[in-house]
Order: sequence, then C-alpha cells, then structure tokens
Amino acid sequence: MADGQQTVRVEGVAGRGFGQPLDALTLARARRGDMDAYASIYRRYGAACYTLAMRVLGDPAAAEDVVQDVFLKLFATLRGFRGDAPFGAWLKRMAVNATIDIVRTRQRFRDDDTEAVFAALPGANATAEDRVDAWTLLARLPARARAVVLLHEVEGYTHRELAELFGQSESWSKSIVSRALNRLSAPEGQEGNR
Amino acid sequence: MKQGIDVNALPEFQPPPELWVRIASAERARRHRRRSAFASAAAAAVVVLVALAAWPLRDPPAPVVAAGEVESRRLEAEWLRVAGGSTPSSTTRLRAIDAALQAAYDRGAAADEVEPLWRQRNDALRGLIASLQQDAVAGVIRI
Repeated sequence: MADGQQTVRVEGVAGRGFGQPLDALTLARARRGDMDAYASIYRRYGAACYTLAMRVLGDPAAAEDVVQDVFLKLFATLRGFRGDAPFGAWLKRMAVNATIDIVRTRQRFRDDDTEAVFAALPGANATAEDRVDAWTLLARLPARARAVVLLHEVEGYTHRELAELFGQSESWSKSIVSRALNRLSAPEGQEGNR
Repeated sequence: MKQGIDVNALPEFQPPPELWVRIASAERARRHRRRSAFASAAAAAVVVLVALAAWPLRDPPAPVVAAGEVESRRLEAEWLRVAGGSTPSSTTRLRAIDAALQAAYDRGAAADEVEPLWRQRNDALRGLIASLQQDAVAGVIRI
C-alpha cells in the first residue's frame, strides 16, 4: 500500500479536509466557470480527495485518476449544486463513489476473499505483540473491506449506507468492521481496557 | 470494549503537484470541445436555415403549375355552368391532355414538363366553353 508515497501524519481533522467550508464568493465564481476559483477549490479539497482514494485503493495512479475524475465531474455539475448540504460533504460523496467504482471494477479481476484475509490475521485473543496498528491492518485488508472500515470509522458512513453502497447486507458491513476493530492494537495507555 | 480507529494514526497523502495541471488541462480541453460542438451545431443550423430559405427559389415552377391547375379548375366549373348543370361529354383532345398529365405525374415529371400540359388543358377548356356559348346563341336565334 503506497509505501513509497510521501505521507504526512496530521494532528486532527476538525476544519480540515472535506470539513473545510467553502466561501460563497469562490463558489459563485466557480459556478460561472472561473478557472482561478476551480484552482482554489482544488487547493482546498484536492488533498482530502487524494487521501481518501489512497487510503482505500493504496495505488497512487488510481488515486490520481479518482481525483481527476471527481474534479472534472465537479466542474461540470457545479451549477447544479443547490447548497442543501455542505460543499465538502457533496464533494466527499462524489469522491467516495468514484473510489468505490474502482474497487468494484478491480474486484472482478482479483481474488477479494475477506474471510481468508481475516483468518490469516491474528485473532481477537492474540497477544499484544501480534496485534497491529490501524494503518498496518488496513494495508493488509482487501480494498473492499478496507473501504468499509475506513468509510465507517473515519468518514462516518452508517452500516446501512455501506450496505447500499456495496450491494450487501448491513450484517456484512457490521461483520467486517467488527472483525477489523478486534484485531487492532489498543492506543497507548488503553492496553488494560481491552 | 469496542475500539475505534484513531484517525490521527492514519496517514494523509499529498497529490503530486502536476495533478492540478493535468486536471486544468483536461477541463480546458473539455470546454474547447464543448465550444467546438456548439459552433458546429450553430453552423449546421445556419446551413439548414439557408437551405430552407433558398428552397422556394430553386423550385420556381411549382407556383406556376399551381396557378395553371387552379385556372383549370375555374375553367372546368365555368364549362359545367355554361353546359347548364349537366356533365358535358369530354372531347378527345381534353381526354388526351388529361392522360398526358396523369402519365407525367405518375413518373414524377418536373414542373417544367407539367406546366405546359396544364396550359394546353386550359386552352382546350376555353375552346369548349366558347363552343357551348356559340351553340347557345345559335339556338336562341333559331327560336
């Protein structure tokens, strides 16, 4: 998973990424097709899109394709944005859909046996040394399971939304998230709580 | 205890700087294609409008033929009136002209071929009318 990529760990996400507001002036200019406004939107949300796609797909080229597709679609449909939801949430939905489209496409050609992957990971009763941190665990998961865990735990998707997104049952989504979380190592200072 | 993923423990990634250049270039290309498509559609619309406007100029015989046909109907009504309401028997010449007209229409003849036939038919009808009027005058004199 993108081991050679430049990564930056951040201290928090409040007011960052898709959570950033977009000022009305930039939005109005972008609706008129102003390229400078487009560039401003990209500077604000481009990294969030790329990070989402990279975390799920783990493939820089595919993540770049997702970002390009999302922003071109955004520019083409911006006039239709009614402002019912925050701009970032609207854009995130587009980014998630584009990313999941690639996951679905790839799944046709690759063995995506989530059961086998979980079976190979240390069990819930494994020793602390056998447990893995979140990113290591996510990196070991197939893209579809990784997407489910990330979208639920990081992006706030409900199991119902995930079930609809992947054409599966809610229990399927719950099972993946539950088994993934059971194999996570506890953050420092919480070892005794598990 | 249920444990969630620590968002801060996940990496954030920065897209390569050239990605925006690629996106902006693709957007400009899309706009160019859209403008070209609009220009092509506008040009096609202009061609269609010009063709429609020019169409009557390229088919001038049609009104002439129509006028000949209208005149023929008027003369035929006059012929019936002069004949006193009874259907007059057609002459050999009139039947021949009607047959020629029908044959011309059947093979999709051009207007410049049909128009003289209508003129001939109208001349024939005028002759028939004149003949009936002369007969009527002669009958009055005999009485």
